[in-house]
Amino acid sequence: MNTAPCKLSPLYDRRIKGLHDDKMEINKKKLEHYGHYSTDDHGFIYDPNFTFSFKSEREDGIVRGFRQIGAAMHGFIDATPAYVNKHSALAGAWYETITRFVPIEFAPEDYPDKEVVETWEKYHPLPGFTGMNHCAPDMKIGFQLGWGGLKKKLEYYRDFNNPADTAFYDGSIELVEATQAWVARLAGKAFAMAEEETDPDDKQNLLEIANMNAWLVENPPRNMREAIQFTAHFQTIDRMYFTGGALDQIDELFRPFYEKETKAGTLTDEEVVWYIASLFFNDTHYSQIAGLTPDGSRDMTSRMSFLVLDAMHYLHIPINMALRVHDGVNDTLLRRSLEYTLMDGSGVDYSLNIGCEKGYAKMGYPEELGRMRAKVGCNWTAIPGYEYPLQDVTRANLAWPLYYALQDAKAGERSLDYLWERYCYHTEKVVDSIKMGYDRHYEVKYRNRPEIVSNLFMHGPVERGLDCSQGGVDIMNLNIDGIGLTTVADSIAAIEQRIVGEGRITWDELFEALDANWEGYENIRLMMKNISRFGAPDSPAEKWAIKIRDHYVHACRDKNTPKHNIPINPGMFSHGEVYTFGRDLPATPNGRFFNDPICHSNEPDPGFAQGLNTFSPSLKATAVGKVQPGYGNSSPLHLDIDSDMLKGEAGIDALVALIHTHNHMGGTLINLNCLTKQTLMEAHEDPTTHPDLVVRVTGYSAFFISLSKEYRQQIVDRFLSKQ
Amino acid sequence: MAVIGRVFNIQRFSTHDGPGIRTTVFFKGCNLHCKWCHNPESISMKPQLELNTDLCIGCGACFHACPFHMIDESGAHIIDRYKCTGCGKCTDTCYAKALTPVGKDTDTDELMKDILTDKMYFDLSNGGVTFSGGECMIQPDFLSELVAQCRKEGVHTAVDTAGNVPWSYFEKVDADMYLYDLKAVDPTLHKKLVGVDNKLILENLKRLSDAGKRMWIRIPYVPDCNDGEIPAMAEFLRGITAEKIELLPYHRLGEGKYDSLGIERGDAIRTPTDEELDRAVEYFNAHGVNVIRQ
Repeated sequence: MNTAPCKLSPLYDRRIKGLHDDKMEINKKKLEHYGHYSTDDHGFIYDPNFTFSFKSEREDGIVRGFRQIGAAMHGFIDATPAYVNKHSALAGAWYETITRFVPIEFAPEDYPDKEVVETWEKYHPLPGFTGMNHCAPDMKIGFQLGWGGLKKKLEYYRDFNNPADTAFYDGSIELVEATQAWVARLAGKAFAMAEEETDPDDKQNLLEIANMNAWLVENPPRNMREAIQFTAHFQTIDRMYFTGGALDQIDELFRPFYEKETKAGTLTDEEVVWYIASLFFNDTHYSQIAGLTPDGSRDMTSRMSFLVLDAMHYLHIPINMALRVHDGVNDTLLRRSLEYTLMDGSGVDYSLNIGCEKGYAKMGYPEELGRMRAKVGCNWTAIPGYEYPLQDVTRANLAWPLYYALQDAKAGERSLDYLWERYCYHTEKVVDSIKMGYDRHYEVKYRNRPEIVSNLFMHGPVERGLDCSQGGVDIMNLNIDGIGLTTVADSIAAIEQRIVGEGRITWDELFEALDANWEGYENIRLMMKNISRFGAPDSPAEKWAIKIRDHYVHACRDKNTPKHNIPINPGMFSHGEVYTFGRDLPATPNGRFFNDPICHSNEPDPGFAQGLNTFSPSLKATAVGKVQPGYGNSSPLHLDIDSDMLKGEAGIDALVALIHTHNHMGGTLINLNCLTKQTLMEAHEDPTTHPDLVVRVTGYSAFFISLSKEYRQQIVDRFLSKQ
Repeated sequence: MAVIGRVFNIQRFSTHDGPGIRTTVFFKGCNLHCKWCHNPESISMKPQLELNTDLCIGCGACFHACPFHMIDESGAHIIDRYKCTGCGKCTDTCYAKALTPVGKDTDTDELMKDILTDKMYFDLSNGGVTFSGGECMIQPDFLSELVAQCRKEGVHTAVDTAGNVPWSYFEKVDADMYLYDLKAVDPTLHKKLVGVDNKLILENLKRLSDAGKRMWIRIPYVPDCNDGEIPAMAEFLRGITAEKIELLPYHRLGEGKYDSLGIERGDAIRTPTDEELDRAVEYFNAHGVNVIRQ
């Protein structure tokens, strides 16, 4: 296999640099309008004149269901300008998502029972009910059929199944027809631009884009460029609906085209790099490279995997790519990815096979399916085309059960045993309420917010006439992310040490201090905060963290959903929403103030390493490895390492060993930034000094300049806590 | 049987203290006194107090806990460091972590538990543990027991030493490899810079080399201190066999520690320029000694 970095000729170098510069310009305009935001770039184009409206059939204005949404999407896609960029190998971009203009909502009558909603109001979870997307497409379905074939497939199964209500098919067909019309418009726009273009290379490119899109209106892709263009079409439509962001295992997806066309001499490596860079310019959908084949016999690394890394490196904008690591992963690929991360500051993240695959097998599925689960979201994995896992949209904030347990202890028995018993009770209440919400989600989602785009690229929905949330796909295991683990563990450990063990303060003093949000009790706050915290080797807090994890997993796994018996897969991922989930949460015994953020996923809080043991990446990694939920869903480790510490081959060797070791210690995902302190501090002081600094926030990457102040602070805190 | 020793820091994921990923254990106490020492907390064998005034909330708990009443009415900490026994009573009450102890007595069994938590990192990177300091060789019983236990557990050991100990200590410790500091060759200059003659140091280095011990030699480059020694060092090192010889540029990261430990700093030392370092490396290489910059 050729593993050498692809060298670009001046033409392709110019094109990719042009894409980078265009992205910077687009981002600048977006920031001028929106200020900062806390998601990734998503690839959209800002147009101040874009507007759209759609009339609901309902009195309350809600638009819902396949038929109405199909019609709304038809109008919305028609309203979206045809975007063509002469630096790109592909056409198309999204400008807005329909939900900003059309209230695609669940009807009030489809909400869960009052009791469930009241439980959510009490415990503040993100209940996952109404959650969108978070399943991954099998793009090969589209490659085989094209847009025209997808329409024919829908028509065929509408006739074959002959359902009483044909809304599923009618709405979906309208969406596909609108997409075809948009693809035709892209072709027309490219033809028009070609006519006016004077540069011969750009003119030729625009003509190729035009012809390619004209073909793709009805027909399936014939070669790699057309397959990538089709993928960009999907990305764009996916975003327009509910900002869907999952893609596929892309090295394998495009490898057959690569092998066939390079053998025929019709494709060069630098063309591939440009096509892939154009796809990344189009959107930041999540995808994966490398990993094991389903039977576990072979590493999937190919020349395509290397070219994907080259495209990321040359383009140097936020891109969400995971590299699936296993013991036999191509070492050159792994090292190349790290070299690029050290050069660029961020790059791929590392999805780790042992925890992901063997953990998934504990759900009762064959490990072969676990290997097919690609990392296609911030933290999450799914089998493209086959699974509806609904990860990353449901969070049970464990700090609220702790709060209510403390209230119970205040009113009742003041003992650690009683506090723990009440904590478990409240945790189970919130988890059970989410399960009930999931039952309702399964019953009603299709008639409110169907997965009208994803269904097309899944195995089953079209054939059955069922939304993929409704039994359209074979595999359905719904995730609940427990968050706040460290906040709770450090809190209980502090109570155990300071009140129960040492007797330095009383329960009453703690309750008074918490009620006062620590005001006037700074000494007590610091006493509670500065215990041996989770992350310190063999700390009491670590034992609590494991106990809390075990109980949470038990609460999820002990029973399936009560009505429809859907299995629950426990996850533990906070996303970057630690401020949101700390909002309104009263002070906690770990020294945290009211409204302060909670902990990140299952990570120790910054500053955990004190005394003899100073911070090290391995100390943090070991802690995160110990508290994984264990059923295949990822709970990430964030490492922000000073690249000055990792210069040279020894630095790469160390990172390779760190990644493999974390895999063997139970870890599931590593998000890595390699920055110098100087760069980060300059950017923090004045983000405009480094407008193209890309950082990995959590599972996604973003321009540092685009992040809100709170999110920028998270990156800086993580980095500085290690200094 | 477990042996007790005194350490002040355990740093995991070290990538510059020997091959692979290493856990570096810093022993407390040193028998040299280098003018440029960036670990001043390592010099004294006694437990010490580190004070970070930025963290102090002025609660006065340390005043009440300490028999020497080291806080005056204005709230400024006045520590009688000569009388301080390192009993830890003040640090135990300082929840703000403004006062922290430096130096902890630990035994070999306890320390081995800490070391072994990163064994998988060692195994996957051909790394191990590095004993550093201070001067770890001045606690030979503690050190040799740790090396023996590591060997039993299959953990590679490196000893980072300045070599100012009897040769019998090297025989007793018998680490897998040595990171050996060479600060100066001229004995008078050596004494001026670090407080002791270097006869024993150079002899031990030669004996390790003759014994075929795996060794990395590390030369601190300290402007206006030992930079004039490069030719003499090159001549000496031509007779030494080492796997690697590194030039370590002096840095000022340890300067803040002097204030927090209440230790008077000597004259400020500047950091070397890239040109100076490159010139030194070029000289070594031109005179038959392969030296690299760390």
